[in-house]
Amino acid sequence: MPVKPAQSPFRDRTQEFLSVAERLKKSSTSGLNQNGPSSSSSRAEDKRSVVALQSEFNKRASKIGLGIHQTSQKLSKLAKLAKRTSVFDDPTMEIQELTAVIKQDITALNSAVVDLQLFCNSRNEGGVSSDTSSHSTTVVDDLKNRLMSATKEFKDVLTMRTENLKVHENRRQLFSSAASKDSPNPFVRQRPLAAKSAAGASNNLPQWANGSASSSQLFPRKQMDGESQPLLQQQQQQMVPLQDSYMQSRAEALQNVESTIHELGTIFNQLATLVSQQGEIAIRIDENMDDTLANVEGAQGALLKYLNSISSNRWLMIKIFFVLIIFLMFFLFFVA
Amino acid sequence: MKITSLLVLKCQPEGSDPVILANASDVTHFGYFQRSSIREFIVFVSRTVAKRTPSGQRQSVQHEEYMVHSYNRNGLCAIGFMDGHYPVRSAFSLLNQVLDEYQKSFGESWRAAQADSTQTWPYLDEALTKFQDPAEADKLLKIQRELDETKIILHKTIDSVLARGEKLDSLVEKSSDLSAASQMFYNQAKRNNQCCSIL
Repeated sequence: MPVKPAQSPFRDRTQEFLSVAERLKKSSTSGLNQNGPSSSSSRAEDKRSVVALQSEFNKRASKIGLGIHQTSQKLSKLAKLAKRTSVFDDPTMEIQELTAVIKQDITALNSAVVDLQLFCNSRNEGGVSSDTSSHSTTVVDDLKNRLMSATKEFKDVLTMRTENLKVHENRRQLFSSAASKDSPNPFVRQRPLAAKSAAGASNNLPQWANGSASSSQLFPRKQMDGESQPLLQQQQQQMVPLQDSYMQSRAEALQNVESTIHELGTIFNQLATLVSQQGEIAIRIDENMDDTLANVEGAQGALLKYLNSISSNRWLMIKIFFVLIIFLMFFLFFVA
Repeated sequence: MKITSLLVLKCQPEGSDPVILANASDVTHFGYFQRSSIREFIVFVSRTVAKRTPSGQRQSVQHEEYMVHSYNRNGLCAIGFMDGHYPVRSAFSLLNQVLDEYQKSFGESWRAAQADSTQTWPYLDEALTKFQDPAEADKLLKIQRELDETKIILHKTIDSVLARGEKLDSLVEKSSDLSAASQMFYNQAKRNNQCCSIL
């Protein structure tokens, strides 16, 4: 791609073109005397205007490329600043200015790229060669892509900055709530240094809430805070987090209650499962007992029959008669 | 977990001192000679805190060993002196209740008050004794406590159900053994009858 930042490396062949045009003019004037000069001159003019348009396009494109490059440099500076920031050494003013400048640049570049694209489209409708039109569209696309990546980097840097600020806020709250237990003065609850940077942070935030696309939810709440009276600003700093912590603690308590109830529900379910399983066991026990009862009753009947058979004398009498008759027979046969 | 004092004040919008509308303090755990000075101290601190609490805001300040919680609602400010262990949320819900009660019983008459009122408001005294236990003031805390107790009871129930299960298992074994023995008994008795003559 011939468009590079900070210089336009496209080969300027306008001189050669002009010489070719002269030659053609000379050759065509020999053919068509009346129309020749006018048409060729108009053609030369067209060509020149085409050339002029082309170089105009290139100039704009190179300007935009340069702008994008500068913006990305500023962005890298901003990223370094944002990473470097610590609790006490906050270069917030610089960051603010830089953010504003970068935002302006990006918007200007955006509009310039859009203009360039329109310009390129309008020129392409004038019937130029397909090479030129494809070249210009590619150039415009490239510029748009670069601008988009620059904007994305910008957004990332802003998110990182907000995260850093959040971390600082948390740390500050830790320190301030620990310090409050020891401090004898009942109405100043923060270390003055932390209070100053907190005040600084809350002043920055309204600008950000308006300007940046990626502001977190923390900021709109603190924005109300930043507009309060300067007299009570220190206490105010602590009060909105206190309101928040009050609400948060209520929300937390509600969530705890809800989860406890949920657990209770689970426990009840488990209880029901256990009891139903044990119900089955109880039924088996019942069946076993029924079987035992049947067996024992049968056995009792058998024993009764046995008792009857034992206590009756019939068999015995038959056996005695039998033996007597055998003796009688024996006696009768062998003696008589 | 102790509440030492509850006050209701009227906050003037300009910087002048707030006017005390109701005051209930429990200074019985201090020595007899210190009590009046403690009362003065409470009055003074509450005035200062109320003056610095903007309307519609809640504020908690640590003063020596007390936590002073204040809640300013449309110029009517409720302040509570509690020790460090009293949960903050219960404190504020208690202040809410006090304010609601005050507005119910006195309507808007407090707006006209210009000097500290010296009458006692019995509700505030009762509230002081009743709400020594934070669970009374904060329904959420009460519910949470009851739920925890229920959970403990349920755990015990599940343990006893498991023991019941074990006993049922042993019963099953015994009953199956019994059934087998009775069956053998029956067979034996039948065999006694069938087998041929007893000679």
